[in-house]
Amino acid sequence: MKPDLMPNNQKPIAPKTNSQKKKKRSDRSVGYMLIAPSLILILIIAIWPVFQSFYYSMFDLRLNNPAKSEAHISYKVNLQTYLDNYPFLISTLEDEVDTASGNTKTELETIKANLEKVDAELQKDNEIKSKYDQVDEKLTVMEPISEELAVSDLDKEIALDLEKAVNDSTDSIRGLKDELKNSEDLIGLSSSLEDAVITPNFIGLKHYKENLTDSRMWKAIQNTTVFTLISVFAELVIGLAIALLINKAFFGRGLVRATILIPWAIPTAVSAFMWKYLYDGQNGIVAKAFADIGLFDQMTDMLTTSTGAMFAVIFADVWKTTPYMALLLLAGLQTIPSSLYEAAAIDGASKWKQFLKITLPLLKSSILVALLFRTLDAFRVFDLIYVLTGGGPANSTETISILAYKVMFAQTNFGEGSALSVIVFVCVAIISMIYIKFLGRDLLNDK
Amino acid sequence: MNKKAGPMFYVFLALFVFLVMFPFLWVLASSIKPVAELFGDRAFIPFTDNMTLENYESVFVNYPFLKYLWNSLVVSTITTVYAVLVASFAAYAIARLNFKGKTVILGLVLSVSMFPQIATISPIYIVLKNLGLTNSYLGLIIPYTTFTLPLSIWLLVTFFRKIPFDLEEAAKIDGASLMQTYWRVILPLALPGIFTTAILVFISAWNEFLFALTINTDDEFKTVPVGIAMFEGQFTIPWGEVTAATVIVTVPLVIMVLLFQRRIVSGLTSGAVKE
Repeated sequence: MKPDLMPNNQKPIAPKTNSQKKKKRSDRSVGYMLIAPSLILILIIAIWPVFQSFYYSMFDLRLNNPAKSEAHISYKVNLQTYLDNYPFLISTLEDEVDTASGNTKTELETIKANLEKVDAELQKDNEIKSKYDQVDEKLTVMEPISEELAVSDLDKEIALDLEKAVNDSTDSIRGLKDELKNSEDLIGLSSSLEDAVITPNFIGLKHYKENLTDSRMWKAIQNTTVFTLISVFAELVIGLAIALLINKAFFGRGLVRATILIPWAIPTAVSAFMWKYLYDGQNGIVAKAFADIGLFDQMTDMLTTSTGAMFAVIFADVWKTTPYMALLLLAGLQTIPSSLYEAAAIDGASKWKQFLKITLPLLKSSILVALLFRTLDAFRVFDLIYVLTGGGPANSTETISILAYKVMFAQTNFGEGSALSVIVFVCVAIISMIYIKFLGRDLLNDK
Repeated sequence: MNKKAGPMFYVFLALFVFLVMFPFLWVLASSIKPVAELFGDRAFIPFTDNMTLENYESVFVNYPFLKYLWNSLVVSTITTVYAVLVASFAAYAIARLNFKGKTVILGLVLSVSMFPQIATISPIYIVLKNLGLTNSYLGLIIPYTTFTLPLSIWLLVTFFRKIPFDLEEAAKIDGASLMQTYWRVILPLALPGIFTTAILVFISAWNEFLFALTINTDDEFKTVPVGIAMFEGQFTIPWGEVTAATVIVTVPLVIMVLLFQRRIVSGLTSGAVKE
């Protein structure tokens, strides 16, 4: 069967050796071309962010604090902030000097002289000088100023001088408060000027050091581990049992398979909310059932005690993913030839022995693959816990992903949150390496 | 192994199906009760004499639920089309062409599927925010396509490998270019596999939560999972609406699963099982 393809477009076939070489070369360039779009997307949106997270984790990065909302390695000066305040500070100081007398007068003059000295130092740099003038001009005509123009790199020494002069000026003005006419204005201008100096927020591995000695982080790791071990183990055992039981011809197979798929298919966030309703301390039917059989003293214990909440979360996860586990294992079971069992039965092997000697060894790679996927998923768990318990009560179900999310988006502490997410990444990488070592090259095998 | 199913087996099967389906059945029963009967003594009685659809009405009237559904549909559909298209090129190259670094690239792609998304969220959030793409469809489509690519490429490579090589050779001898071979020979034969991949990508985009939660915080652009999760009021949870919304989200998925169960299972288990 040859598909009829563009019969008019036939090209003469070149001599064999030549064409093979050509094919190899064209294969390669076409191959790279075809892969490029996927690879570029993955490199930019999946791999680069991981490195960037690591980079961020070494900074004191806080999105709600303008001076720390970006990662700075070097000292910088924000000329817009500087010129918005400096000239007015100087002229207000001049006014005060004119009316003041005695000690106050000399002190004010010192402040002014110090500030002007640093200003002159600042303008010595040609690049800063040119930006300085441009910003100044734009400010007078009230034109918008781009961040690129406003922010300029600064020598560490000048930056420290500037910072010191401005801090001293704020302190002295505060001290002279009672002697001045416009003390409020002066303090305001001087402290706004402090914001002009951008100090580097690079802190190295401090976030890691803090996190690794933080009991909340270790509690989160412990919660994640408990959740992962218990839920994955329960899913494997129950999933394997179900797979073994339904690995036969029976009426209504399609229906059972569809039933199995439904918990897997609905959004985790939605199923988590559904379980929240079933676990509710007042009207939750599952909470009532568990309380009735004596699993809990009271219905409300389910979501308000730490063991109850952990049990609730694991139970919901087992409900949602055991069917998926069963499907993967069932597919593995179906590849085991039944002749093996027949032969074993003739040799007088018991059912249990057949399971140990035939089923388990032949199912090993299926089990490991299923375990790998499930362990990684469970370790990264977020949606289920975020919606069902929010990490509570008293952080008893707070997993490492939940903690990282809270630090990043509730406390807007991106630096520390990034450090936590890098810790999650490292844990996941270690888990995958252990599994892949067990799986060998099986997973990536080409053929 | 005993391959015949006895009556005990069906009893067990019925029990199993009931247990798996129980949460849905209970939620369905609750969603058609009047709100008053969701609390107090009547809360544990599955049936009601005052069947009502007011919860369903409220979901659409008091919440922008239709908007959520629409947002989810737009984001998931575009993600699916784009991810499957891009992935099919890469998968074709990996499955059919010989070039250096193929295995390394496949390994890299697969390892990305193991990445915890939380480790990528802060840079992605900051970049999207600086580009003004938070609270937009594109803000979700970009990360979604990327994170569904590994799965798509992996599945499509498996499907493409099953297509006999002879057909391609024949097309080449007939003078078809590589692109023609791809569009006219490989693609039509790979359609079932592509369809399976598309279903799985669609479901994973539809269900995604973390990116949707952080990137699209505006009601205008929220997706269904986040929308439902945010139903929670400040003091009470509107259980009537929650159960109704859950049913609305679940029913289309149940229909989809019933229609495509074979494909979904073949997609889920391909790669996990060596044939």
